Amino acid sequence: MILCVDPDSTALAATRDALADAGYEVVTAGTIADARDVLDDPDGPTLDALVTEYELPGGTGLDVVRAVREHAPDAACVLFTSTPVESIDTAAFGDVVADYLTKDEADAREALCDVLEQTLAFRSQTAYPLPDDEDARLDALDRYAGDPAALDASLDRLTEIATALFDLDAAAIGLIDAHEQRFLSCHGVSMGTIDREDTVCTYAMLDDDVTVIEDVGGDARFETNEGVRAAGIAFYASASLVTPDGQTIGTFCVYDDEPRSFDARERELLALLADEAMEQLELRRRLDGDGGEDDA
Amino acid sequence: MRDGAYDFEGLPLADVDPGSSVLLAGSPHSGARTLALRMLAGATDEGTIVVTTNRRAGRLAGDCERAGIEMEADRTAIIDCVGGEDPDLPARVMPVSGPSDLTGIGMRFSDVHRSFQRAGVEGVRTGICSLSTLLSFGELQPVSRFVHTLVGRIDSVDGLGVFLVDPSMHDDRTISTLSQFCTGRIDVREAEGGAELRARGLPDQSREWAAFDPTLE
Repeated sequence: MILCVDPDSTALAATRDALADAGYEVVTAGTIADARDVLDDPDGPTLDALVTEYELPGGTGLDVVRAVREHAPDAACVLFTSTPVESIDTAAFGDVVADYLTKDEADAREALCDVLEQTLAFRSQTAYPLPDDEDARLDALDRYAGDPAALDASLDRLTEIATALFDLDAAAIGLIDAHEQRFLSCHGVSMGTIDREDTVCTYAMLDDDVTVIEDVGGDARFETNEGVRAAGIAFYASASLVTPDGQTIGTFCVYDDEPRSFDARERELLALLADEAMEQLELRRRLDGDGGEDDA
Repeated sequence: MRDGAYDFEGLPLADVDPGSSVLLAGSPHSGARTLALRMLAGATDEGTIVVTTNRRAGRLAGDCERAGIEMEADRTAIIDCVGGEDPDLPARVMPVSGPSDLTGIGMRFSDVHRSFQRAGVEGVRTGICSLSTLLSFGELQPVSRFVHTLVGRIDSVDGLGVFLVDPSMHDDRTISTLSQFCTGRIDVREAEGGAELRARGLPDQSREWAAFDPTLE
């Protein structure tokens, strides 16, 4: 869904129609408060993009961009505005990052559709790198996202074994979807769904090998990450959950509240545990499928 | 839009496909900054946008000319995070409040790029000199989003991006994360015989270290 914000109802309607004609689902708002209501709606569709005017009653489009970055950080944000770029005061919004497109040219809405098409296809406003074949990866993930609760017991056994085996605080098995990581099993730690840009696994899944971060607090990617700190993660290691066709859909990770090392044998064992978890997911997928035939 | 690849006259680099972005990693004394500017010098029908984070626009403009960039206001722009009065530069100078204003830098890029396109400029080379300053004024996560967004825009307009970074100022994982947004990476080092570069991740480039001239004319 694209949220379109403009206090000028004629311009708003024109932008809405252009985006709808291009095939997008569009929700409109004339004020910052209306825009916030859309963002705060727990039953609303996933926000893919924000298109907003700059001058709004009681604030600016950059206030809306900041709110979007908190609610749906991966969303593509575009200021689509009559205000010249040199008159836009970005000083207090330097870290939100948004694209800029002038609204008053004849082909402005055509240009907007081009920018959105490109930005959404390549998801290029995320704060983290994507795997080379993210679309194929998400397709693969879909095949395993059935009823993960059915696997609770077997995966819980694996995370419990992992904590005892490595003498660590906690272990977890998580899947990484387009925007979030959600956990199928946690032992020694309790974690809900986390934005992808805020999880260590987002970066770890890009590694071919087992990832070990001996001192998470000393890693520039996570030194200001409040969630990681609140969860007491000072040591992190993970092995990827890789489908039979080679797509990484998640991780088997272990944590400790103090930095530590992780030797070659421990890395091997963690990789074995990840393979075992993936096997459980694969078997479940086949059971849920067409009677055990390999439909991969 | 653009048909041909970007070439690099006088440098030991093969042509690079339109839409590519390169992380250019080298310390200040390695010649990496000069290499960045020389990579931005293209044919007369191309445009150039340089983001300066730590040198005044006037000094940068002089360095650009000595690197072989022909400066003209309708196809050369400097996005200036430093400030100061530098009158009568042969480029469109766009001031930004400072190197922490990633949003302001990105928006000015989009705006000036569009105006170059409308003026018939075919292919724009964009340089960030340097990411290290942006990282010293901001956190890695917003800088990552900024780089990803800019790389995406450069790709969509068939441009060329050169992102200069001093690897000695950052840990390996920061450099590795930033390089993952880019098409490829060029490392610069000081060897006994002088400055050398080596490209990785870009098609058709030599895998060996190659000497280049790190001085401006």
